Amino acid sequence: MIWQQIVNGISVGAVYALIAVGYSLVYSVLNFSNFAHGDVLMLGSYLGFFALTKLGVPFGLAIAIAMLGAGIIAMVIEKIAYRPLRLRRAPLLYLMISAMGMSIFLQNFTIVTIGPNFRTYPDVLPTKPFAVGTLSIGRLDLMIFIITVIVLLLLTWLVYRTKIGIAIQAAAYNMRVASLMGINPDLIATMVFLLAGATAGVGGVLFGMKYTVYPWMGVLTIKAFIAAVVGGLGSLPGAVVGAFVLGITETFAAAYISSAFRDLFSYLLMTIIIIARPAGLMGTVAQEKA
Amino acid sequence: MSKKILIAMWVLALLVSLSACKQQAKEETIKIGFFGALSGDQAVWGQADRDGVILTIEQINAAGGILGKKVELVVYDDKGDQLEAVNAVKRLINEDKVVAIIGCNSSGRNIAVAPVAEEGKVPVISTFATNPRVTVPEPGKVMKYTFRVCFIDSYSGYVKAKFAWDDLGARRAAVLYEISSDYSVGVRDFFKQSWAELGGELVADEAFKSGDVDFRAQLTKIKEANPDVIIMPFLYKEVALSTRQARDLGITATFLGGDGWPSSALLEMAADAVEGSYFVNHGDIDAPNVQEWREQYKKRFNKDIEINSIMGHDAMIMLKAAIEKAGKAEPQAIRDALENLKGVEVFTGVINIDPETHNPVGKAAAIIAIKNGKFQFYKQFEPMK
Amino acid sequence: MSGYFAGIAILTCVNLLAVLGLSLLTGFTGSFCFGQAGFMAVGAYVSTLMTMRLHAPFPLALLGGCLASLLVSIPLGYPTLRLKGDYFAIATLGFAEATRLVVENLEKITGGSRGIPSIPTRTSLPVILAVTLFCVWLIRNYVSSRHGRNCVAVREDQLAAEAIAVDTFRYKQVSFAINGALAGLSGGFLAHYVGFIQPSMFGIPKSTELISMVIFGGMHSVTGAVLASIILTALPEVLRVASAWRLVTYGALVVTIMVIRPEGLLGSWELSIGSLRELWVSGRRRFLKQS
Repeated sequence: MIWQQIVNGISVGAVYALIAVGYSLVYSVLNFSNFAHGDVLMLGSYLGFFALTKLGVPFGLAIAIAMLGAGIIAMVIEKIAYRPLRLRRAPLLYLMISAMGMSIFLQNFTIVTIGPNFRTYPDVLPTKPFAVGTLSIGRLDLMIFIITVIVLLLLTWLVYRTKIGIAIQAAAYNMRVASLMGINPDLIATMVFLLAGATAGVGGVLFGMKYTVYPWMGVLTIKAFIAAVVGGLGSLPGAVVGAFVLGITETFAAAYISSAFRDLFSYLLMTIIIIARPAGLMGTVAQEKA
Repeated sequence: MSKKILIAMWVLALLVSLSACKQQAKEETIKIGFFGALSGDQAVWGQADRDGVILTIEQINAAGGILGKKVELVVYDDKGDQLEAVNAVKRLINEDKVVAIIGCNSSGRNIAVAPVAEEGKVPVISTFATNPRVTVPEPGKVMKYTFRVCFIDSYSGYVKAKFAWDDLGARRAAVLYEISSDYSVGVRDFFKQSWAELGGELVADEAFKSGDVDFRAQLTKIKEANPDVIIMPFLYKEVALSTRQARDLGITATFLGGDGWPSSALLEMAADAVEGSYFVNHGDIDAPNVQEWREQYKKRFNKDIEINSIMGHDAMIMLKAAIEKAGKAEPQAIRDALENLKGVEVFTGVINIDPETHNPVGKAAAIIAIKNGKFQFYKQFEPMK
Repeated sequence: MSGYFAGIAILTCVNLLAVLGLSLLTGFTGSFCFGQAGFMAVGAYVSTLMTMRLHAPFPLALLGGCLASLLVSIPLGYPTLRLKGDYFAIATLGFAEATRLVVENLEKITGGSRGIPSIPTRTSLPVILAVTLFCVWLIRNYVSSRHGRNCVAVREDQLAAEAIAVDTFRYKQVSFAINGALAGLSGGFLAHYVGFIQPSMFGIPKSTELISMVIFGGMHSVTGAVLASIILTALPEVLRVASAWRLVTYGALVVTIMVIRPEGLLGSWELSIGSLRELWVSGRRRFLKQS
């Protein structure tokens, strides 16, 4: 049973990881938690769903549409809800509140326009699991894991090997100094949201295939947020590590302690980490910016 | 400048709140109130309740009304929130002066609303609140003004246990339940009680939280315990996800569910994972006596009925019978008539209200099977002794 | 006044008490609290258990709920208030969710997710109105005192505040404790008004609603919070029929306010007889000048 539970934990962690990197990416540059990230994921999921069912496009194209669409939506949200505040140098508190308002808006707008029902992705990938001994590994889970790894590798390459990525890193290190070096902060913010939105788009499609699509699915990204905190907000590898740690902790808590108290362990893990190591498992200790 | 806008907003707010105070008086109708979740995540059920009531009232009015008077319905949304429900019912009683209220589909809100009905002395008939505490908050005490048209959780827990034992021949049972849902916890408790009385073995008892989407940690544990039957008293979305994940993990036990299951969305979402499962329901939407009404409903609202539509219909028929028995449309008289209401035929059986508990007694449950990707009526279950 | 309007007035006061605390904590001290419903839950459950199990008189039960919530906020604030804004927000959210989970699991004591029915309904409009007005007065005096100005200093610039010898952590803790106490009080009143409590009443939507009221009314204005509580509690009642779009507007409004007028409806402007007269005089002068 323990091996099966580890497999369960990893498959949960893979979904968290895809969402958590989006959080961390935005946080690393703009220093605030984008509470609307989960709702971008939800919209990405709907885009993928409608692309598959209404347009009948192949699966790969559906993912591309969801990525592009969610990326653009995230970019637009940044322009509308965050940029004016950032330019005014408003306190970070306002950005968080604006993000929260955006989240309420997107979620309820979807409920009113698309409807509150749950929708199921068509079976584009084989769902039947294959057995390794007594272990059962879902094909979909494996596929999700592989796609997650590919997306993360791509993201790592983008952030660490390309010019724009290095600019993002510089901005993450110190936005003001970076802008003195000729890096346009608005462009960086746009790029960061485009990237974060695109990962949310993939995440949304995978999440939808695994667990159906519904307007308040973004709520579940609280868990991904916890993962990002555990791993260290602002650190990409940290977000991934945090996601798997959280996925396995949750699964084990449910399996060996009490399923009724499962989420208590998620919060407990987070509380212990932020008290013992405020920067998270992989984050660097950052001073509150003056 | 901004101060001017401010003042304008004040004036507007004042006007809007004043306009709400105005009353419209109308003679010679029987005014009935309805509250339910018309928005939010429970909207599917609330709207079905409402539409069932609306269609029934239209049909009653077309046939001459009740006691020669037309029936008028006042509808309020409660968003699935207890406080909103309390406000809505207060408004129905104090402002709209309704003689009786129908609603709603959840026990939590009906428990919250019961004292309000008590204070306002207006009877409330719940369509779908199955928790025993809705009418009997503590042993020996009955809420004078609260009634219901559905059977209660203790009965549905009993039916699940008895059906699993007798018909499925199960001896080892597992329960998966939603800890944040009063309904789910209630059915699980009563199932456990009845199951123990039958001498069955409970091999796993696992919980999840509302909003959860991954149940594999719990299901892996259940698989390990090797049950014959798994009891799943929760709503169709979680049913679809958990049954799919269970089959993926190689669990072969029979799934047995409750009245949260019936929805065409379940069949679409769960596909073959729920094939061969059973659930206990208040009635059968495919029952022959419902079909004519179902067609009318489809024509009127352009959508198919849910089980809630039938419950809305039944609640309205029950209310009509009570008003006719009382001979006048006054809240107190209706309440007294409801308390001793006997032999009212509705879609889901015959309503006989027990004055001690305000529950319909002797109502039979329907067992529905899922075969060939369809809901099929399996058998009528005898009432609890 | 009919029972319906009295009920709405009571609910407004209940919301107002919780919003007052948030106004101090989030609006004036700058700590974004996302878990106000958790504190309300503590107050509601403790006071209910006191009246129902211990048969304590209502005022004592209220005080008990208030104190319990305050006592919870102290050890919770100790580690979390040192954290950066986002961490604090998410920690309070975690606290509220964990509280709900504990209440759901302690079935023997709290009734679990089925809640506690038939709580004696003791909350009456005159009492809650008096208590609320007293609290508003108290908080207004607090924020206009030296302590209140120190809170604002903490919000505006923590480093600078520390540089002028303001014990920032102390002020955050005090605000957090006052917030806890007020939320607990609000929860106690709520439980004894509705007569029924259930963990689902204290979820994330409740916390979000309360924080939106603070933002809507004015981050730096106590009377703004008062006004917002009244408008946002009463307005949904008026618009009960057309509520599908309500939350959509709500979300859009929050974003718009942040982008266009982040200081909220009243900003840092306080409502009083003096300020109203000032407004009247300046308005008249401007009107006379125009005509």
